[in-house]
Amino acid sequence: MSRSLIPALDCPFCGSRPLEEFLFRKTLPNAGEGHFEAVYLRVDSAEQSVEEWQHVGGCRAWLMVRRNPSTGEVLEVLL
Amino acid sequence: MKRVSRHYSAWSLLRARLQGAGYWRPLWTGRALQPAYDVVVVGAGGHGLATAYHLAKDHGIKRVAVLEKRLVGYGNVGRNTTIVRSNYLLPENHYFYEDALRRYEGLGRELNYNIMYSPRGVVDLALSDDDFPVLARRGNALRLAGIDAELMDLPALEKFVPALGPRRSRRFTIAGALVQHRGGTVRHDAVAWGYARAATALGVDIIEDCEVTGLHTAGGSATAVQTSRGEVKAGAVVFATAGHTGLVGNMLGVPLPIETHLLQAMVTEPVKPLLDTVLVYVAPGHAESYISQSDRGGIVLGGHIDGFPSYTREGAWHRLEDVVQASVELLPQVGQLKLLRHWAGTNDMTMDGSPIIDRVKYDNVFLNAGWCYGGFKAIPASGAACARMVATGITPDLIRAYRLSRFATGHLLDEPGYGPYPVKL
Repeated sequence: MSRSLIPALDCPFCGSRPLEEFLFRKTLPNAGEGHFEAVYLRVDSAEQSVEEWQHVGGCRAWLMVRRNPSTGEVLEVLL
Repeated sequence: MKRVSRHYSAWSLLRARLQGAGYWRPLWTGRALQPAYDVVVVGAGGHGLATAYHLAKDHGIKRVAVLEKRLVGYGNVGRNTTIVRSNYLLPENHYFYEDALRRYEGLGRELNYNIMYSPRGVVDLALSDDDFPVLARRGNALRLAGIDAELMDLPALEKFVPALGPRRSRRFTIAGALVQHRGGTVRHDAVAWGYARAATALGVDIIEDCEVTGLHTAGGSATAVQTSRGEVKAGAVVFATAGHTGLVGNMLGVPLPIETHLLQAMVTEPVKPLLDTVLVYVAPGHAESYISQSDRGGIVLGGHIDGFPSYTREGAWHRLEDVVQASVELLPQVGQLKLLRHWAGTNDMTMDGSPIIDRVKYDNVFLNAGWCYGGFKAIPASGAACARMVATGITPDLIRAYRLSRFATGHLLDEPGYGPYPVKL
């Protein structure tokens, strides 16, 4: 299986867990200061995406995931 | 310059038979890139080609170019599950998609190209009694708008779709369905090829392998696009790059209400006729799924988006598993089949699930984007409306609701009801 399928994420508490336990919420940082920008607008990137995820099917921790959306590679998972 | 493709008819088929291999010509010719155009359309997918076609045909704009990074029809116009329908709940959406469906009904004749429109019926299943009123509400909204919709109870449904007859191994009951008989399937590649051929015949230049990398502007207007083949002057620029519009937003310096997610589809080995309709349903514990059978006999399966930004065009495994599980739970008889092919497309996912057709930042730069899961079925209406907006400067009533400013003013068209997220939380 190609690594770009990212079948799992490394949760800092639970270790490597299957992807369907996690829920992507939104990309970071916000596109601007106001509520509208934070809720509706997104800053897109083909090289590096910093994202807010939650381990909903596990410890429910909020995670910050750094990924490369062009290759699917997970670069970093932080609390 | 090579001559454009001939008019197709029974007579031309006969002549081709007698004349041999030399009769057929390329569908779109490779005229070299010119230094200046009235309108430059970026992206030779369904929406870009349809926009270029309508600019030339309806508005007489002769100097139109479609610039494509890769190949005609490489993107989502060739990656969808070929379903067309207009059974949306919200008026802004169902009137727009109904316009598209009506155009699809006559598109083969208009383009002189067989798009294989098959009005086989789109069947939205109710899997519990609670689902029924929801479908009835949608059906009533459609009928009030003059769009066909029929609510079927279980006996009528089993007659209409014999494959849904009682089976002991099915995991859940079926209560009934909402059916749009005029919905169905269209050969997706033929739409791209047909528009490309018809646009070329009207003098539109289709330039493949030509990536747009930047925009030159002066005083609030775009003057030219920078491409991998040099600078091209443009009177107006249309970005029809759904699937990569987020990156266009970066290029323009405008954050957009769009995330790019993957949507997967897959097809099984061909089998004898099993299903002559399109089934759409939400199985308990699964996301929305849809099943149809292609003319070749393969069972075509599709589901929900993967749920996180990606440009890889390689779907996530758990989503594939979800789609396959849901299909076997509904139609246990497909459980023995092998998957033949599996692919994914990059989707513009807007924060309300509806598209965006509007000016952006400059007075002559237009965005035809945010098609979410509804791009293919929208192509003819989107092309006509977008071309009218570019040519006349007036936003047609049909797409007024698709303006970009709706997110700021709160006039959202939240058809899926997920709130400001592309995925259900």
